[in-house]
Amino acid sequence: MGAFQWLMKKITKVFGRSTNSLFYVLLNREILKEVNEITKNEENSLLILREIGKKAAYESCERHSGVFKFMPGNPKKILDYFEILWVVVFGSELEDYSYEEISNEGSKYNDYVLTISKCPICAGYGQDEEDSFDFNKLKGIETEGLACGLCGMLESVANFILKIKRNDYRIQIIEQDCIAKGGNNLKFICKIHDYKEWAALSASRISERNSKGIYLDEDTEEEILQETKLDIIDKLQDIISIDKLEEYLDEPLESLKEKVAEIIRDKLNMEPEHFFDYFRNYEDDMIRIIGYLGMHLLNEYGGLLEKTLKNEWFSKIFGYLFKQLKNMTLLFIPLDVIRDYNKLLVSFIEGLAPEEMVDNIRLFSGKDTINYLFEGAQMALENLGIDFSELKENIWEELTKERDDGLVSSETSTADKTREKVPQIINILQEFLMIINDILTLPIRVIISESHYGIKTAINSVVSEEEGLYGSIKERFDNIFDQIQDIRK
Amino acid sequence: MNYSRNELIKTEATMNQMRNSLYILVRFMEKNGIKNSTEIFRRMGRSIARTYFNYWKPTDFIKISNLKDVITTIYKNVLNSTISIEINDTEKLVIVRDYKCALCKYQYDDVEIAGCEILLGMISEFISLISKESTEPNSIFLDPIEVKESRANGNKSCLQLYRYKISGEA
Repeated sequence: MGAFQWLMKKITKVFGRSTNSLFYVLLNREILKEVNEITKNEENSLLILREIGKKAAYESCERHSGVFKFMPGNPKKILDYFEILWVVVFGSELEDYSYEEISNEGSKYNDYVLTISKCPICAGYGQDEEDSFDFNKLKGIETEGLACGLCGMLESVANFILKIKRNDYRIQIIEQDCIAKGGNNLKFICKIHDYKEWAALSASRISERNSKGIYLDEDTEEEILQETKLDIIDKLQDIISIDKLEEYLDEPLESLKEKVAEIIRDKLNMEPEHFFDYFRNYEDDMIRIIGYLGMHLLNEYGGLLEKTLKNEWFSKIFGYLFKQLKNMTLLFIPLDVIRDYNKLLVSFIEGLAPEEMVDNIRLFSGKDTINYLFEGAQMALENLGIDFSELKENIWEELTKERDDGLVSSETSTADKTREKVPQIINILQEFLMIINDILTLPIRVIISESHYGIKTAINSVVSEEEGLYGSIKERFDNIFDQIQDIRK
Repeated sequence: MNYSRNELIKTEATMNQMRNSLYILVRFMEKNGIKNSTEIFRRMGRSIARTYFNYWKPTDFIKISNLKDVITTIYKNVLNSTISIEINDTEKLVIVRDYKCALCKYQYDDVEIAGCEILLGMISEFISLISKESTEPNSIFLDPIEVKESRANGNKSCLQLYRYKISGEA
């Protein structure tokens, strides 16, 4: 699994509202039973549950549309990233599944069959008295099963991504096998339709429901409004979707430079040298802008950073972490390592920017570059809600102050809750410090491997991906996400 | 071999879409002339509790002394909710405040019922099932009263009210 795919899954999971899976599954069952109380027809009830799932997921996607901007905008690739769809919808990992591509002559895309060997929705169905929805009453061979609501949700999320990516294709996901119905696995068949076919299919689904006397608020998938204001991610979405980012990591530095040059030519209609010429004699500002944009780009992921920083405590913790990182970078990183980073920047910009500009950047000491980057990043963080002027010397003073001032409620349970969170915060700090140590070794690896291998090679150890820098950082972030999840509980 | 329900207890699932589903269900019910959605939601909750109880229970007995802890444990283990809870001995009320209710988050103009009506049915049934099985003479039974405040109605938190009865008392 790629680094970005992993990161996206982790973030989606951490920031969703979760409950115990058994509660989720039983709630799904109850919704189906209540629908069946109304329709008194099992086949119709399954059709309605699917529609409920579709609408529910669409509503959720609309609220958090920013999250999906990093997904690839091509139906085949969306299916390649099916694991992310599953995590967005269900929240837990998709275990043990397989793909089968079925040739679809005359169509641009093939059909895909996804076989998932274990289905959480069907788990233990039929063993308890309350499992009273009777699948034996189903007469139609083509009816879906207990996971049809989940199936509707997956279809909705996939098509929402295609919609915001302005793609003309849509994905139909049908539950073909269901364990509760007697199948061996949970099986989905995924068909890709062009927009015309999709519109006809949707219309026929609606008329089928109407003929059965099932009335729901019907789909009103709006056409994409061309005048919609495009944000920075919309403009760059073809370049920075997770599939592309994974590809970039595989590229050697020279190819990466070519890609950047292509992007500038293609998107900005100018030669890279002209583009960089705007910053001539303002090279320090350019580096500040990189720091500034870096933070804002981070925030483009559904405005997550900004939302997190609205919480006073998270804002302070983030502020202290940033301050510590800034101080540590300058105090503890050997000058050679900082110079390596500067060299890396110069080698990156060489050939893209005018000679004079490259010379000016070469004059910066590594320390200057780091300072400019941090200054830019700090400006962005101030915009996003961190008030650096209010921060104490370190986080420990902050914790003591809260307790002395009695700002934290004296009610035992609240005090306990706060105390419970301290170890997790300490663990997060510790993990971040360890990540910084890991990253210190990166630049020299990149420089050595740049001419022959991709950046990914530098990140991975020669022994194995898991034992290398990538594995180590991934493990630390796993711990950080676990701690955040604990705090959120 | 598929998952068992015992295995599901050890994992978590994201509620965002399922929570939305409840309000779409209410609209569907209203469209079909169903008026007693509150009672239906509580029935759903009771049914969930009856199945859930076959796989997990927080304790073997409930007395007034451990009632708060038991309810807190159910909210924590089943719903991942950290609640604050108050017991009013005079009116025999249990008042639960949940700032991050799993079933209510957004306010809908066209839906009046709160998703956590389901929890009223579930929690009261859970408590009653434990007490029915226990040999404790002063067991507690809960009846749902109402969702007094809800994030689904625009409040900052959900406030759920139950009335308790001690077995053997008039």
